Amino acid sequence: MNIKVKARSKLKILLPLLFSVLLAGTASAEDVPADLIQQDKLEAGKKVYFKRCVWCHGVEGVGDGPSHDRLFTKPRNFIQGTFKIRWTDSGELPRDQDLINTVTNGLPGSAMPSWSGVISKDEIEAVVQFVKSLVQDREFDDEDETMLDTVTELGPNPWGSTGPYHLEIPQEAIDEGKKIMVANKCFECHGGEGRGDGNPTMKDDWGFPILAANWQHCWNFRGSRRNHYDPFNVARTVSTGLNGTPMPNFRDKISVEDRWKLAAFVNSLCPRKKIDKLTNKPIPDFLIAAKYTKGEIVPKISDPMWVSPDDGPKIVERAEDKADHPRRNYIALAGQITFGERNFKPKADNLWVSARWNKDQGIYYLVEYDNRFLSTDPEYPEAVAIQWPAKLQDLFGAEKPYFIHGDSKKPVDLWKASLMPKDYSATNAPKEEGYQLDVTVEELNGNGYQTLAAKDSEPTVKVVDAIFHQGRVKVMFQRALTTDGDMDVQIPAETFIPVAFMQWSGFDKEIDEHMAVSTWYYTILEPQVDTGHMLTMSFIMGGIFVGLQGWLVWMTNRTRKMYADGKVIQDERPF
Amino acid sequence: MNKSFLSCILAVAGWAVFHYGLLPIFTPNPLGWVLNPYVYFLIFCAYLIIVNVGMRLNPPMALKAFYVWMLGYYFYDAILLPHIPWTLFITYMMLWSIGVFLYISQDPTTFREFRSPIVKTIVGEYKIARIVVFTALPVLVGFATWNTLYPKFAEPVELRTVHPAPPSTTKVHGKTYKLEEIGNPFRTDEQDNYKDSFPFLDKTEYMKNVTEGGTVFFENCHFCHGDQLNGLGMFSHAFNPTPANFVDPGTIAMLQESFLFWRVSKGGPGLPNESTPWSSAMPPWEEHLTTDEIWKVILFEFWYTGHHPRTFDTEGSVSE
Repeated sequence: MNIKVKARSKLKILLPLLFSVLLAGTASAEDVPADLIQQDKLEAGKKVYFKRCVWCHGVEGVGDGPSHDRLFTKPRNFIQGTFKIRWTDSGELPRDQDLINTVTNGLPGSAMPSWSGVISKDEIEAVVQFVKSLVQDREFDDEDETMLDTVTELGPNPWGSTGPYHLEIPQEAIDEGKKIMVANKCFECHGGEGRGDGNPTMKDDWGFPILAANWQHCWNFRGSRRNHYDPFNVARTVSTGLNGTPMPNFRDKISVEDRWKLAAFVNSLCPRKKIDKLTNKPIPDFLIAAKYTKGEIVPKISDPMWVSPDDGPKIVERAEDKADHPRRNYIALAGQITFGERNFKPKADNLWVSARWNKDQGIYYLVEYDNRFLSTDPEYPEAVAIQWPAKLQDLFGAEKPYFIHGDSKKPVDLWKASLMPKDYSATNAPKEEGYQLDVTVEELNGNGYQTLAAKDSEPTVKVVDAIFHQGRVKVMFQRALTTDGDMDVQIPAETFIPVAFMQWSGFDKEIDEHMAVSTWYYTILEPQVDTGHMLTMSFIMGGIFVGLQGWLVWMTNRTRKMYADGKVIQDERPF
Repeated sequence: MNKSFLSCILAVAGWAVFHYGLLPIFTPNPLGWVLNPYVYFLIFCAYLIIVNVGMRLNPPMALKAFYVWMLGYYFYDAILLPHIPWTLFITYMMLWSIGVFLYISQDPTTFREFRSPIVKTIVGEYKIARIVVFTALPVLVGFATWNTLYPKFAEPVELRTVHPAPPSTTKVHGKTYKLEEIGNPFRTDEQDNYKDSFPFLDKTEYMKNVTEGGTVFFENCHFCHGDQLNGLGMFSHAFNPTPANFVDPGTIAMLQESFLFWRVSKGGPGLPNESTPWSSAMPPWEEHLTTDEIWKVILFEFWYTGHHPRTFDTEGSVSE
């Protein structure tokens, strides 16, 4: 009797196991009915929703909460049941788990934060059920609503690479991924180097403008699930598409193996930086060190001396010949939301700055940033600026002018470059060699944003080179260390100097105080490293130490000899 | 085989096995009563003692002293929780070194025993050891000199007063307020009565004001202070000082509403110098919001986080 029962219970476990193995063997995925709404959780979910979610997603779930018209990635409208990040096929409803993951991890690059740690797991599960109940155009219990798992077939990471940076993926896979990208014309929307600069005319299902993802900013991938460099996320999105957007799925066109390679390529573009777990953004490099350059500084962006990777040098080791190049410093930008015409939807969210200097040629600051499209309207030019305290010598301690164009007591010195691309239209196909830029340099002084005015002294700042290349603006500023201008910043070496950056996206009609800003950073002109002197000193110190050792040996031997000769008596205990 | 050499090998190999094999097991999250690094450390010490005593290795005094010194180093560097700062580490190691020295110099015999390998190295009785030590040390000194001379720059540290002393009065929209005398005009009822009320749904007067305050917050403030009021909004990473986290008990929970009214109205530029007004992105909200809107946002922030504002102690002010 007992034995029989045991056998049966074993069978109970074995049968489904066998079945699932068979299933996995024959068909990779099956249509299953959509996850039903769990009615018992709605009441709890409603409580969470009306405290936490209603502010963006609105009372009815239309995505019309108070915040919505000042957000560029608009809050999701739940009515249509259209959700971007899923494991199901294009057009299908999401699984409960997909929505739970979205609420848990948030959607980086948008206003949707991660809710893990803020509300409990039970609350997340409950609010997901409530959100499903807000869907009006579709029924979760409709027979026609099925879900096809399109992601499980991807299997585990084929290279066994691990986070956070996934640097173990072989270069061949990445190179093949690039070919797959070209063959499937991903560049038509995402641009030649993946900066999302392909198509300025796209709309989402609700008719709102939408931009293709910038692959070089993987920390802004909505579906990154707080694991920004993991190629799985890209492979998943390629398999499922993004509902409600022009992004289709490529399941039929690209094999599983190739989807992984494509994902490896996409992720390889993203600079490896230390990502702040709380904000999902790289940690800014608060000190911009200008490298002292022996010999001539070549004022050409394409010159090898200016080529260095964006990756953090501690994460990815530099090639031998670039080891002593200046670091590319990550500068975070945000909208100017303090004064006047506020900018809630800035288009550039970071800058990369590297710098070199020497006494004869002065300082060179190479400022680079990604912006998908440039303006061709002279009224609203693309522009970028470096801001300095105009009266550095008058500042006491940590004191600085107000970071948005100074204040009444402390003026700023602004070097602004307005850029107009030649032979360019936003709808052009990717152009390998990039676009030349017409540059107008202005030198301005400000005592607050309303008082910004051109200087009347001689122009001193030059833009020596500028280019717009595959969605990346590169501008190289140059100036002598000191000038005659009374309101020019005078730049001393080996001193921490406050510096800030501003950017105007002319394509989106940004002008004047309607701009993107950074906070104050520091820059320093690193002194020339006199290796000869340092080497001599090291040898002298080493030599002195050798002498010291010799003296020690002599002293010890002498003491021993004195013991041996009986001149000095060692204490009597046995040795 | 030389017994000291064997002891040395067993200690180093044992440490490697313990450190890379056992330590991860003894540092679960959260720590248990048995599975914690201190127990691990005791086991490691026991291992060293048992191996040396059990196998009668009887290592020389210098090696014993070295073991004890290294155990201290290992403990302060890798075992003690939380990890101590560098300066404190130096202090502890100084004390530890003095202790080890006391142990070896307790009587002339032990001290001479301790000295003997060092003397033998110096005079050349240990030939190889003398060559290695006498070449390695000058190289190390030269290297250290190079390292000291190489110019290094770290960003300057800036200190900042987070909650500066407020002024006694503030003028907002043409009206002068005495901060000690004003309270939130919309705090018409006990906040705790509305813990489970819903904005937009609950039509009571109090919740209507909370809803309006929340509306203002999510139109203006969430970019920095975050959808969760935890200071992690979309733009927060770009600003330094980082936006205030209202959920933290160290911010609005310890401030009076009138203080918030002043901070919100005057923003970053209204701060005194010790609070680095030059880098605060907080707008002077009097330029964008009405007085009522400012009070309603404050009402909303307390309702959402569940914190209660600090109030003036009326009895205390009388005795003053």
